Amino acid sequence: MWKFTIRRMLIVIPQIILLSVLVFVLAKMMPGDALTGQLDPDASQESIDNIREKLGWNDPWYQQYGNWVVDLSKGDLGQSFTYKMPVTELIGQRLKNTVWLSLFSVILIYVISVPLGIISGRYNDSILDHAITGYTYLGFATPLFIFALVMLWVFGYHFGWFPTSGSVAPGMEPGSLEYVMSRFKHLLLPSISLALIGVVGTVQYLRSEIIDTKQKDFITTARAKGASESRVYNRHILRNSLLPIAAFFGYEVVNLISGTIFVEMIYGYPGMGQLFLEVIQLRDYSVVTSLVLLYGIAAVVGTLLSDITLSIVDPRIRIK
Amino acid sequence: MKSNKFYKLLVAMLLVLTLALVACGSDDEGDAEGTDDTSKSEENGEDDGEDTEEPVDKGEEILSQFQYDPSNTGEPIEGGHLTFGLVDDDPFEGTLNFNFYSGAPDAEVLNWFDESLLSVDGDFLYDQEGAATWEHDDSGKVFTLTIRDEVNWHDGEPVTAEDWEFAHEVIGHEDYTGPRFDETLRNVEGIEEYNKGEADDISGIEVIDDKTLEITYKEATPSLLAGGIWSYALPKHIFGDMEVADMDSSDEVRKNPIGIGPYKVETIVPGESVTYTKNEDYWRGEPALDEVTLKVIATSSVSQAISTGEVDIVNDFPADQYPDNEDLSNVEFLAAYDNYFSYLGFKLGEWDFDEGHVVENRDTPLQDKALRQAMAMAIDGDIIGEQFYHGLRWEANSIIDPGHRLYHDPTWEGYEYDPDAAIALLEEAGYERGDDDFFTDLDGNEMSFNFIAQAGGEVAEPLAELQIQMWEAIGVNVELYNDKLYQFNDFYDRVGNGDEEDDPNVDIFGGAWSTGSDVDPSGLYGKNVRFNFARWDNEESQDLLQAALSEEAFDLDFRKEAYKDWHDLMVEEVPVFPLNFGLEIVPVNKRVVGYSLDPDSDLFRYDIGVTEEEPQVD
Amino acid sequence: MAKEVVETTEQNEDSNISPSGLRVFWIEILRDKLALGSLIFFVLVTLTVFIGSALLDLDEITKIDPLSRFLPPSSEHILGTDTGGREIFGQLIYGTRNSLVIGILVTAMSGTIGVLVGLVSGYFGGHTDNVLMRVLDFFLILPFLMIVIIFVSLVPKYTITSFSLIMTAFLWMGIARLVRSKALQERELDYVNASKTLGTSNITIMFSHVFPNITSIIIVNMTLSLASNIGIESGLSFLGFGFPESTPSLGTLLSYATNPTTLEKRWWVWAPAAILILLLMLSVRNVGEALKRAADAQQRRGT
Repeated sequence: MWKFTIRRMLIVIPQIILLSVLVFVLAKMMPGDALTGQLDPDASQESIDNIREKLGWNDPWYQQYGNWVVDLSKGDLGQSFTYKMPVTELIGQRLKNTVWLSLFSVILIYVISVPLGIISGRYNDSILDHAITGYTYLGFATPLFIFALVMLWVFGYHFGWFPTSGSVAPGMEPGSLEYVMSRFKHLLLPSISLALIGVVGTVQYLRSEIIDTKQKDFITTARAKGASESRVYNRHILRNSLLPIAAFFGYEVVNLISGTIFVEMIYGYPGMGQLFLEVIQLRDYSVVTSLVLLYGIAAVVGTLLSDITLSIVDPRIRIK
Repeated sequence: MKSNKFYKLLVAMLLVLTLALVACGSDDEGDAEGTDDTSKSEENGEDDGEDTEEPVDKGEEILSQFQYDPSNTGEPIEGGHLTFGLVDDDPFEGTLNFNFYSGAPDAEVLNWFDESLLSVDGDFLYDQEGAATWEHDDSGKVFTLTIRDEVNWHDGEPVTAEDWEFAHEVIGHEDYTGPRFDETLRNVEGIEEYNKGEADDISGIEVIDDKTLEITYKEATPSLLAGGIWSYALPKHIFGDMEVADMDSSDEVRKNPIGIGPYKVETIVPGESVTYTKNEDYWRGEPALDEVTLKVIATSSVSQAISTGEVDIVNDFPADQYPDNEDLSNVEFLAAYDNYFSYLGFKLGEWDFDEGHVVENRDTPLQDKALRQAMAMAIDGDIIGEQFYHGLRWEANSIIDPGHRLYHDPTWEGYEYDPDAAIALLEEAGYERGDDDFFTDLDGNEMSFNFIAQAGGEVAEPLAELQIQMWEAIGVNVELYNDKLYQFNDFYDRVGNGDEEDDPNVDIFGGAWSTGSDVDPSGLYGKNVRFNFARWDNEESQDLLQAALSEEAFDLDFRKEAYKDWHDLMVEEVPVFPLNFGLEIVPVNKRVVGYSLDPDSDLFRYDIGVTEEEPQVD
Repeated sequence: MAKEVVETTEQNEDSNISPSGLRVFWIEILRDKLALGSLIFFVLVTLTVFIGSALLDLDEITKIDPLSRFLPPSSEHILGTDTGGREIFGQLIYGTRNSLVIGILVTAMSGTIGVLVGLVSGYFGGHTDNVLMRVLDFFLILPFLMIVIIFVSLVPKYTITSFSLIMTAFLWMGIARLVRSKALQERELDYVNASKTLGTSNITIMFSHVFPNITSIIIVNMTLSLASNIGIESGLSFLGFGFPESTPSLGTLLSYATNPTTLEKRWWVWAPAAILILLLMLSVRNVGEALKRAADAQQRRGT
């Protein structure tokens, strides 16, 4: 158990180092830099060259990478050129929003998918099951962004029930109840959109898992012993099928990453995904690299978490 | 973006960018429901280019359909609260000080709580209505600037001459990385020496007393009076002990910014919204509103936000959404000339990094000005304006835009759309058609050009393709460079603002400039400016632009004549040619008063008020 | 966008069927009316768009007509026109063809790489396996969408081929994992050891013995990947990193829906593309599910 966990964690370190090199080199290879878009005919070439020199953009990439890593080890992600603020602070603001969005979406996914999956699995081939299967069937093929756009249009614009952009209404006192409620309101529609499409996989998995387990020997035995139907489900089947689902939490978060980019863009929700789309066009390298690295680390940690919990839940995995 | 006086305050921001900024072409998407009726392209096809009709000013005709001022002329109520929509798909950057900011959205945030010390009139010339007054000596080089006694910072400290001097010292400092240390500021005597560390202070700036500053400039030009003075002070009592390098990321710039404007910043949600409260101590008098909320509205949400009264005004309204919203019952659409022109240009040379000037050395058929002239005639700017911008843009006749009323002249002749004349011109110049029906170059080789265009908005691509089609129609083969549109930074990296050579494969480029207060275009077409993307080197042009900035040019007629000659030269040589002028349109809720887009209005930002508690709703 | 279909198939049990098992696939499809209908639909659409795009003139379709922008469907414009006055119908034909080509290319290329890596890794095991799996792990943690966007900003010329190559680079891992685990099991079987002692070369064993035994699982997996790969370009186009409009694609048509007026009042611009993507993905998936059932059943009977 510990051996598995430690080995798993050791693999992570070279992965992250490699990722940082890759990301850094790629970002530097992009044509143009943050200054090419600054068009002030009065600005003298001399001062622009000075800035390039001062910021070290003219150094060879490995030297820049070296400096970057040294700063990184001090917890300094550098300075955003466009936002004129430390990247840590900039991302900090956005990170908060994205974390809330993902967390809330994951919760919604569980809240929606577990009951649906159980109903569908337990009463398979019923009308309800057909309805749920139909939903997952369509949900599989519906592009998230079209779905989110339609949701925004219907519930944001047409009915006006939800705010259509931002993360919080202006002028609220941070920490006040009003503030929290406003944040929640801004969060609701984007995460519902994410969740309604996101549940598909889990529902399908749970359904087939339950149907499979139903036919297993130990269930038949339990039934033969006269256990009540609900006892069979609660004690035997669900425990077996739900544990892995709980352990998928980390994977679920990882899968949400690209989804949040779309949703943040559509709902004008100032998270990391929206920031990424913006800085990549502005060529704000320090932010681009930090963001990709951060997303990469999130993926690594999420996967690691799930791997480890899964290995606890299901020892077979360790043996593999 | 601007409304006058109001306009003037805002223009102050543009002063800085004397002729600045951004390819907007792509930001303002415009499109209209396809209408089958209008098109003049066909009728014009016949004549030979000479225009016998009475010249009509298309811009004026279009502008006359709108008002500058809201119809509401009621008295503003006490304790009003207004919401201002900043239309932007991205959050604002939040560098909230005029001495450091770079993005236009930040300027919108700034304008509510800070302002230029000097104000300008409808012709972008300094007047005496601002927080400071000015006079200059006979040489036109020495300016005495006097800050009014009642002008205070939001924290109650008076604005002093030292604060003004301090702003110069910070921007001129070698550690300063903002975009403001430009040619205008370099005109201050001694600032270059100070910048290089050769002098401890700027020799040209002298503090006479608490409220009086004297600045000596190296050269006297008409431009000095049109935005040539750095007019934003920096509170020394706040920034005085800070390292210059740390200033732009300090909390005093990002979280608790102060200024001298009519409203004070109350709260900031970074990138999303700002709330302001009234500055009772504002030097002009008490502002009409108690509170102002500014929030970022995505382009796709604008029409929703104005129709529900979620916002009362927006800074800029996307032209493509205008047709669906012009009949809203709760808002009024105001308009004024946008300080803007779009253009197409030809790459004729490259930038010499060592010498710092353009070299017109490209071996390209485009060196033949007959070809360039024909290509300019091939483009129909009006159909683009009518169909893609719902008639809110029209064909530009010159580089000098209609916002600069003193110099713009609608009777100046540019290139009318005339494909037949274009073909005739090419044939006359000796071009012959090859097997594929495209013209070959003068040696009979196949001739084709790469056109680089900028991405952004859904009309960008069809417009680029349309222009290519228009060239194809006169038999000139143009291809979209690499079959794609280029994102902003990538585009300018290739066109000529990168840290390396211009992309040698780019032959034609399309862009747009928004123009600043000073009409002088030498920042875009001079020999030693990077933004001369055409890399066009013409002595006559240099001389004319010089003349228009000389001391003689303080005489308006002389200056105007110089620009007329320069215009004629541009039409003859066509290194670039203007494509469209446009209107900016601003929807205003019907409860808003004291707002104006009129360049000559007497209204200032603090006059903006509301006549009802709640916004009207459609 | 790219949905993880791959995951679901991994839960399958083993399957050892010989190529003759392909017939079982066919029988299963014939028996399953939905799958059969889907297959027919898919083939019909494919034929229509390939023949259609051969007949239609691309220059004509992408020609801008400023006077007929956003026209609703009529007898003159069957499906109306877009922002440049271009026919939606023609773009739909070309766009579907491009999306199909991309889907098939990406599936085929990522399948090939995945099978090769998986086979080598699983068959040889040991250090080879270790190294390859660490590489695979690395690719798995890359934030797919972001890395792809960076790549897209890098390539000078953005074509169907370059796009497919970029996608492939980050989509081969699922199938590689699957094939590896199967190959690991296969190599323990007697016939492999027997061949080895007979002196058959590793390559021969891998490709003529091990590979045929796992083809069915590969086919199932690739069919299901195809379903998601068809829609893969649309997400990027939507974010503004897709093909230029001169290369019509379903994603471009869909991305017009970001304009609220288009979303609400000009349904003809984006809705046909949305429906078509949906139907194509579903039909491929229906076929894939049928194949999966066949493979499962075969395996159950076989062992």
